[in-house]
Amino acid sequence: MKYLSIVFLLLVSFKIDAQELFVVTEPASNVPAGSIGVRVGQSLMKNQLESGSMYNLTPEVTWGINKNIMVRTSAFLSNQENGLGLKGGGFYAKYRFFSVDDLQSHFRMAAFGRYSYNNSFINQEAIDLMGGNSGYEAGLVATQLIHKVAISSSASYVRALNNSDYSFPDFLGNSAVNYTFSVGKLMYPKNYTSFKQTNINAMLEFTGQTITENGKSYLDVVPSIQFIINSQARIDLAYKKELYSSMQRATSDGVFLKLEYTFFNVTK
Amino acid sequence: MKTLHIKFVAAALLVLLTGVKSYSQITKVKIMATGLTCSMCSNAINKQLKSFTEVDSIGTDLNTNTFTVYFKKDNSLQPKVLKNAVEKAGFFVGSMVLTAKFHTPTIEDNTTLKVDDVTYNFIDIKTPVAHAETRYRVLDKGFVTQKEYKKLVKSYSKYPGYATENENDYYLKTL
Repeated sequence: MKYLSIVFLLLVSFKIDAQELFVVTEPASNVPAGSIGVRVGQSLMKNQLESGSMYNLTPEVTWGINKNIMVRTSAFLSNQENGLGLKGGGFYAKYRFFSVDDLQSHFRMAAFGRYSYNNSFINQEAIDLMGGNSGYEAGLVATQLIHKVAISSSASYVRALNNSDYSFPDFLGNSAVNYTFSVGKLMYPKNYTSFKQTNINAMLEFTGQTITENGKSYLDVVPSIQFIINSQARIDLAYKKELYSSMQRATSDGVFLKLEYTFFNVTK
Repeated sequence: MKTLHIKFVAAALLVLLTGVKSYSQITKVKIMATGLTCSMCSNAINKQLKSFTEVDSIGTDLNTNTFTVYFKKDNSLQPKVLKNAVEKAGFFVGSMVLTAKFHTPTIEDNTTLKVDDVTYNFIDIKTPVAHAETRYRVLDKGFVTQKEYKKLVKSYSKYPGYATENENDYYLKTL
């Protein structure tokens, strides 16, 4: 209950084009320069290894340093062992290096990098830098927006390191390729009348991983619905379902609730 | 008391005269932003534009992503400041139209006007503009879409300065 109230206090975000404000993936666009976004992600995932489910809480702060660079810090909390506890943290940066914009359309590309730190017990083959493993990731993302539809895809190289209290097991592959494909569409409103109007976006995201040493893979699909309130706050509801997996994973299927709020022009 | 009054008038005249020397008065700027279709994105631009003290109010058409910036009396901003604001929000300017009055008897094709550290070049002027408030489109790189700029560079090859990129140098045409 305590955490629930924290979540509600921190409520809600904003980012760039609503249709590309994906829930589990990132577009090539950045947050506006000088803005600070506060996001609280929660997920309840079915535990594959034992009965019950795993609750994850991920508070994040995103800052647009300038029009091309944004950075984000995340904290990873979960109830993996004896109640909710801090398992690690991460740093993410994205640099937009290519943009071709036209009326109600754009094509953009960005390079991104992530470093995560974690002290969880390693109990799966999948490499998860969002709360399971220490490690780093580097990749490219491209996003195309055409009127009300955004399509985005990314590919990245992931390398798992030893977690602080647990070494990465020798018998598991510690490097992987992550790939994502996302589509988002603005469903409502058909015509804008004011900034106060609630926008509704529908999204479908695919996230996959292949361990490079042994070729083991998984692919998940994540349908989601997103509400954007007052052109400043965001509520994301998503469901993740495993489509295919040849590796052992601690969790795969589950639900997400993410709340984000953006403070504009905080820094110059 | 009387000398104070005269001093005041003299000072006011001086201010008026130096002010008149070379001025341009931009009353409003209409900006169409590109690369977005959502209201949250528009809001990011809206907040950027609102952050300037020179700006009195902003009118928004969310369906066309058009922002009309109204300035406070005797206050305006250079076009590049507004362009940078749109870009800071993460987007680009597709079109910028100034409603302005330039202090010069007539504006003809190839008229160049220096106002403070800014140079306005008037090109593609079909009918000369007398001393009147007129709408001018900014044709420089970054003020039109990338596609359009490429076309303009070709069609304005007879204006040699156009393709050079100097951010205090603006190329304007009447609408």
